Amino acid sequence: MRLNKLNIGESGIITKIHAKEPLKSKLLSMGFARGERVKVLKHTLAKNTFDIDINGVNVALRDEEAREIEVMKES
Amino acid sequence: MVEIKIALVGQPNVGKSHLINSISGATLHVGNFSGVTVEKKEVEFERDGYRLKLIDLPGTYSLHPYTPEERVTKEFLLNGEYDLILNVVDSNQLQKNLTFSWQIADLNKPMVIAFNMYDEYSKRGGEIDTEKFFKLTNIRAQNVSAKENFGLEELFKKVIKTYQEQNKPRIYYSEIIEEEIENVREKIKDCRFDKRFVAIRLLEDDEDIYKIVHEKPWFVELLPQLNESKQIIKNEYDEDDLKEIFFEERLALSKGIISQVAKIAKRETLSEKIDKILIHPVLGLPIFLFVMWLLFQATFNLGAAPMDYIASVFDSISNFVGKFLPDGILKDAIINGVIPAIGAVVMFLPNILILFLGINLMEQTGYMARAAYVMDGILKRFGLQGRAFIPLVSGFGCSVPAYMAARTLKNPKDRLITMLIIGFMSCGARLPIYVLLVSAFFAPEVQGNVMFAIYIGGALVGLIVAKILRIVLFKGEPEPFVMELPKYRFPKIKALLFDLWIKTKTYLKKAGVFIALASLAVWFLSSFPRENIVKEYSLKIAHVKSEVKKEELKEEMRKKILENSYIARIGKIMEPITKPLDLSWREDVALLSGLAAKETVVSTMAVLYGGNSSNSKKLIEIIRNSLPFTAAVAMIIVVMFYSPCVAAMSTFYAEVPQWVWRIFYTIYPNVFAYFAALLAVSLIKLFS
Ligand SMILES: Nc1nc2c(ncn2[C@@H]2O[C@H](COP(=O)(O)OP(=O)(O)OP(=O)(O)O)[C@@H](O)[C@H]2O)c(=O)[nH]1
Repeated sequence: MRLNKLNIGESGIITKIHAKEPLKSKLLSMGFARGERVKVLKHTLAKNTFDIDINGVNVALRDEEAREIEVMKES
Repeated sequence: MVEIKIALVGQPNVGKSHLINSISGATLHVGNFSGVTVEKKEVEFERDGYRLKLIDLPGTYSLHPYTPEERVTKEFLLNGEYDLILNVVDSNQLQKNLTFSWQIADLNKPMVIAFNMYDEYSKRGGEIDTEKFFKLTNIRAQNVSAKENFGLEELFKKVIKTYQEQNKPRIYYSEIIEEEIENVREKIKDCRFDKRFVAIRLLEDDEDIYKIVHEKPWFVELLPQLNESKQIIKNEYDEDDLKEIFFEERLALSKGIISQVAKIAKRETLSEKIDKILIHPVLGLPIFLFVMWLLFQATFNLGAAPMDYIASVFDSISNFVGKFLPDGILKDAIINGVIPAIGAVVMFLPNILILFLGINLMEQTGYMARAAYVMDGILKRFGLQGRAFIPLVSGFGCSVPAYMAARTLKNPKDRLITMLIIGFMSCGARLPIYVLLVSAFFAPEVQGNVMFAIYIGGALVGLIVAKILRIVLFKGEPEPFVMELPKYRFPKIKALLFDLWIKTKTYLKKAGVFIALASLAVWFLSSFPRENIVKEYSLKIAHVKSEVKKEELKEEMRKKILENSYIARIGKIMEPITKPLDLSWREDVALLSGLAAKETVVSTMAVLYGGNSSNSKKLIEIIRNSLPFTAAVAMIIVVMFYSPCVAAMSTFYAEVPQWVWRIFYTIYPNVFAYFAALLAVSLIKLFS
């Protein structure tokens, strides 16, 4: 499942980053790495932009970028 | 005295600039979002017999640079001259920050870490054992707070000690990787970088390092080993992406060390609560627009309050000076040229300060990054991304830093588009012109809203132009949007006041020196040649008896001199062009002088219309009586869109090397401004 499919309040564990360089390095450096827990705090009305919590850091990213992050949803 | 050059490195928004300000009393700009510092800056101070030279580098997330300003940092770390690295870390985000620290530690230079924001961290129950950290990593560290000013003196004691001992980090990766690092390192011969560092960077596919070493004679021998080592690592980790492998190595290292040295703090929840409302999926956008509306209302209405007071101060200055100066050209120049011009500019200082304070508050609290998040969806429709929003909003303050801020955009096309429309975000210096014309021509109840409309209108048109540029000239996808949202922070009142004070000082200085000189020039150009006219009129004046008649003749003489002056001749060349806009040569000249600095538009108007009145409040009155409504609208529109001042233009030229774009940038806003004003004027005429 991809990160952009999570709803507000849902969380998951990252299993893979599909993005290509240089976006991949950028995502890694913001803390998006395998095994880390992410939570969707907010998204805009049309689900265009997401506010994600990764390890206590808030990161805004778009649908296009969120789509590149594979997660396993936590229940 | 021995000088220690210290490179300040850290991820964005960790408080590097703030730290420099606190320790040295410097006044670098601080803001609560990533990407405030986009240039290298240097500050010096002395401690314990050493001269410490701090070099503030733009914040960067990793040594695999992503944006142009991050490149500045890497470039400096590789090729710059420095003795020691001071790595500033945000204690609230240890894991993410330290993962970068290990990358810089690889450089094998003396290094010190400052765990900044320790005030926030300890308040939430966190603790960091810096002694233990030192034992584990051989990096001296100190818990500090740049904001509350603690730990800084101790920090620089440790910096000096580290320098004296040339104490370098000892960070080791897992065995398999260390083994391969060693294998590669052995093949590296002479090189100005540390060999272990080069080996590590080559293993993690750092193109910059690759480019540097691949011309070395020993590279041919290195290459087979490098490829073999890479393959071994890939096989061991069952992963093809070496960057990712190294990243995860460092992340694991961070986790291990944190678990040994830090007591983890409780989660911060305030920001989440505030964000529930401020970036609410439905309410977020209306709230943002409301905030902006409020800001412009305040700018206009609160700013108008002290106007009378300022005007009367300038009246008395003028009277006072008038008593002392002998009659003649000098008195004329000062009383009718310089003083009213400065008065007209200073009158708008309160407006500018309020606008500036508003933008500053948005930056300091962390709302700016949220606004970028909220606006991202809209900006995307116009072919830009949320990050572009920050330079655009800075543009409301001043275009110069806005052009620089555009460096935080990675994609050169995005950057250029953004820079081409920054000029449409009306800067603070244009505010006086709007206030002058709006107060003269609109009913008091709507003035605040008209101001808001001018600013929003400019921004909207800018976005539309961006879209057109994107479709016509810069095809392609906008860059990805990944941006950190900082915690909300309560701004320090003292720092805010200080910023306002600096702003006031520079503004008054500009008014006192630059505007004074410019208006003197305008006065001169508008008062000469006069000999023949003066001769003709002094005869006439001598003949008539009544005082009233004498005054009338004097006024007539003044008009005639002005109509015949050098400046009128310049203006009249332009008049035919601007005739359709209902602008007369006076407005043309004022607008032209606005290319030097936007404040001069107002001061020039003051000289050309002011006549013998120095009261800036009266200026509004006079302008209302002399200009048709259409001309006022045309002028507002031209000011909204035409070329910014020289300072801004040269910044653009410095940032954009291509001649095509420089020329385009120099011409298109003016053409655009002209036709936009023409359209507005024709519409008004059509409907009235
Ligand atoms: N509570 C607290 N806030 C701090 C501290 N140091 C800095 N800040 C705040 O953190 C924010 C970022 O500070 P800056 O100095 O602009 O950060 P920077 O590292 O220079 O950022 P860039 O220019 O983006 O690289 C500002 O809002 C500061 O007021 C600190 O020790 N404690």
